[in-house]
This record gives sequence, C-alpha cells and structure tokens, in this order.
Amino acid sequence: MGLISRLAASADVPVFPVVGIGGRTAARSLATLGGIRVVDHPRAAVLMLLVGRPTRSLLRPLLAVHDQLSGPRCTVWWRTGRDGGDELVAALPAVEVLPVGDASALRRVFTELVNGARASDPPALDDIETTPWRGVGPYGQGGSGMTGGTPYGRPLVGRAPDPDGLQLDQLPLQVGPFFGPFPPGLVLHLEVQGDVVRHASLGENPFTRWPGDAPLGPLESGVFFDAVAEVAPVAGLELARARHHLRWASDALRLHGLCSPARRLAALAERIAPGDAELVVRIARQLGRSRSLASVMRGVGVVDPERHGLRQGIVARSTGVPEDARLSDPAYRPLGFEPIVHEGGDAWARFRQRLDEAAQALILAERAGERIRAPGPAVEGPRGALAAGAPSPSGQLLGILPELLVDQEWGDALTIVTSLDLDVEEAAHEVPAEASA
Amino acid sequence: MAAFGAALTVVLTVGVAVVVTVWLRTAIDPACLVASERVPSLGGGEPEVHAWSRYHVRYYAMALLFLAFDMEMVFMYPWAVVFVEEGLVALVEMLMFIAILLLGILYAWRERALEWA
Repeated sequence: MGLISRLAASADVPVFPVVGIGGRTAARSLATLGGIRVVDHPRAAVLMLLVGRPTRSLLRPLLAVHDQLSGPRCTVWWRTGRDGGDELVAALPAVEVLPVGDASALRRVFTELVNGARASDPPALDDIETTPWRGVGPYGQGGSGMTGGTPYGRPLVGRAPDPDGLQLDQLPLQVGPFFGPFPPGLVLHLEVQGDVVRHASLGENPFTRWPGDAPLGPLESGVFFDAVAEVAPVAGLELARARHHLRWASDALRLHGLCSPARRLAALAERIAPGDAELVVRIARQLGRSRSLASVMRGVGVVDPERHGLRQGIVARSTGVPEDARLSDPAYRPLGFEPIVHEGGDAWARFRQRLDEAAQALILAERAGERIRAPGPAVEGPRGALAAGAPSPSGQLLGILPELLVDQEWGDALTIVTSLDLDVEEAAHEVPAEASA
Repeated sequence: MAAFGAALTVVLTVGVAVVVTVWLRTAIDPACLVASERVPSLGGGEPEVHAWSRYHVRYYAMALLFLAFDMEMVFMYPWAVVFVEEGLVALVEMLMFIAILLLGILYAWRERALEWA
C-alpha cells in the first residue's frame, strides 16, 4: 500500500446511512462510533450503509443514491429486526452484511476499498438518459442557446410571482426519502424560488405496509407503543423518553453545525441513567443560554395549537398547552408529575421543551424505582399520546409540516423539519389495541 | 539547423501538451460517468426540470450600497492630493459629500434594504 493509500485509509470512514424499516435506532448509534464520520450527502461518502430492511418504495431511490456516491464506493448492510428485504437488496451490486454497530468492520471495508483490495461498486442503474437532449430541429439538433430545445432533456421551469412583485422561476423538486438532514423516509414535493419554499406537500410514506408485505420492524419509540397493551416499568419508559430527547437534541445540534457537542450528547444518550438528571439539567441550562442557537431557531416554524389542531403532545406543550397523558395515569400520580410548558411554539421553544423534559424524565425515573405501569388507554410517548385507534403523534405532526414550510428559507425549513422530531415509520404504524382485562 | 531545432522543440512541446490534455480529459471528465451518476443528488428524488432558473438576488441592495461607498473611496484619493492645497474648503466639501451619502444609507436602512429577505 502506497503512502497516499495509507494516509487515505487512516482518515475517518465517511458513511452515508440509508435507513429502512426498523433501522433508525441502529443508524443513530453511528454518531457515537469512533473513527466513523456520518456525512449528509452521498457524494461525500465512500460507504453507503443500509440500516434495516428496505421497502419496494425505497428501492429506486436507494439505487439512485448508490450511483451518486463518488468512487471508490461500496454498500454494506446492517440487518436489524426482522429478516427480509434480500430480494430488494439483490438489485444493488455486491452488498456485504456486517454486524450491527461494529465500527471495525466498516473500517475494514473502507481500507480494502482505498488500497484497491476490493473493487469499487459499478453503477446500479443502467446508463440510460431518461431525458435525452432534444433540439428544435427534426433530428433533435439546433436551437439557440439553452432555450433552443430542451436542455439535457428537461423542460425549463415555469414562472410565478414572488412577494416583491417579480416574475421568477419556480423550481419543482422531490427531496427524500434519503436526504441527509431529513428524518429517514420523509419525501417532500417542493416548489422553490431561489432558496425560498413556495409550496410544499408530503410524498408517499415509503414505510406504508401493503398487503403481502412483511410486518413492520421494531420502532425507535416501540417501548411506548408496547406499553399501551402491556405492563411496563415506569423508570424504563422515562429513561427511554430521556434517551429519545437527548438523541433528538444531538441531531438538532448537528444540523446547526455544532458537531462536537452533538457527538457528546449522542454518547450521553446511549449511557444515560436515572442518576444523570443533574447533568442533563446543567446541559439544558447551558444550551438554553446559547445566543447562536436562539438566533437561528427563535421565531421559526411557529405552531398555533388552535389553527393547527394540535391539542396534545410535546409540540403543543411548547405552545403553552399543559396536556400530557401522564397527568391522568395512576402510575404517575405518586411521583408528583407536573407537565412542563413553554411559550412561543417556535423551534426554539421546542428545543428547550425537549431538553427540559429529558431532565424531568430522569427525575421521574429516579422517583419511580420499581413501579410498574398497568396497560392503559393512552401512553405519553416522546412526541405525544399514543392511543389505540388514534393517529400516531408523528402522523399528526407530518400533517402540519407542509403549511409550516411555506415561504420559509431553506435553512429555516430544515430547522422546522428537525424541530418537529418526525418519525415517518411511526406514522405508518398502528397503535396496538389495549389488552382487555 | 538551429531554426529546425527550434521548430522540433515547438512540435514536441505541442505534441506532449495535446497528449496530456487528452489524458486529463478522460481522467477527470464527468462524461465518463453514467446517466444516474451525473444527476444532482436530491436524497433519492430525481430532477424533473432543468436547474437553470432565475431567482431573486436578495443581496442586490447591499451590493449597490457597497458600490456607492466603494466609489466614494475612489473619489477620496484625488481629494487627498489637493487637500493641503485647498485647506478648509476641501474639508467642508468632503463633509457635505459624506453627509449626502449618509442620508442615502439612512434611507436604505429605513427601507429595510439592509435586511436579508
């Protein structure tokens, strides 16, 4: 191995994760692995890491993203949860299955690629120009400049008025389901003028289960779903809640470029214990005083509980609505639970709400001891109440997302998407019915 | 003979340059990529329209103000040359000039032209 190959192989392994069914928790653990760099864009990656099971809707985007990795490239697979998906993964060239959470295996594949011991993946899609160049002439030739024909086969965009009274081009885009800063599976159809979103609508949920499909995999918030129908330790639920909020805060910090604190917070989330309440309170206070974070989040994505029909859940509490299913839960009564609320309903209020609730969850976990929660009609999940027959909190939040994105600059739009803590897979799940006594 | 040597050197140099250019083209030309590798990445989405679009350059007001003050600096060089000769008159004239520009920037500020949006 030459000097350049040795130097290249000693760099952090750039990994672009693509998440299928049941893969979100494992994908998050990537951020805590030493020597691994999670990148937001396939062009910056050498390894495409498929985590979980792909669905039929995810296959074409998966192949497209694979081909957008710069060479040398390779696909590896962390299989999580239930088996399946092999017939879909077979469409990718040479996928190696690696043990979940094993950084050394990722490093080995990366080193083999860099030093030439392993061949780079060929393209997964055929070299067919879906939209070939077509000029104005009878044989596709000619035209004057770029407007002469259909440049690179794609039509030029249409125009629409902008708020300054100008007629400007409006570019339609489909972003997702593997767009780095978005939650896995989120597909948005956008129309943008420059960097301002003018129209937004949700695409098909790629995790929707069709007849004949295998069951959905384990959810990141699965412990709360299970608690609707099964007994669950209160301390376990509250620890899972604190872990969830800290992981989310880590994502939010990473989005805003604070990669080092984000990594530390992700590591803390993985080893969190009830005795860490004071530490989390201190972190919440420090981050809550950050002027730079406040300046990018304050006033962005303001949710109005009346207009958006959001009566419960953590987003509603960040607007001042003190609704929480734990208030009416007998298991929480002796713990002295009081819901935390913030005012404003913007991304900044949601950020502080989640950090404060993470600290509160650890205090509750410490107080709960061995207390067990009996199956009940509604469980307060990390995003809102989970009740049999009711739409999942992520489903409700996805419903208000397009309206919040309209007329936002792209940076603010990303802040809004992250601040809502969406789980597209959860939106495709049904809450289990409460077990009959 | 010397002229022939010079011509040979030119021919050889041009030949090497052509070979290197052709090699570079094949080495780094994105045309070597297949169709699916050439499209911009949208996280799995595919572009529907050409990316050549006209958008609002929202920093134009700031750019115009920058140009105005840039020109003011250019004007100050000849003024500095004659300042000692002209004395107080030159100072008063420059203050008037800067006052007019200052009114302009206050107007732009009031019209919120310095805000990004």
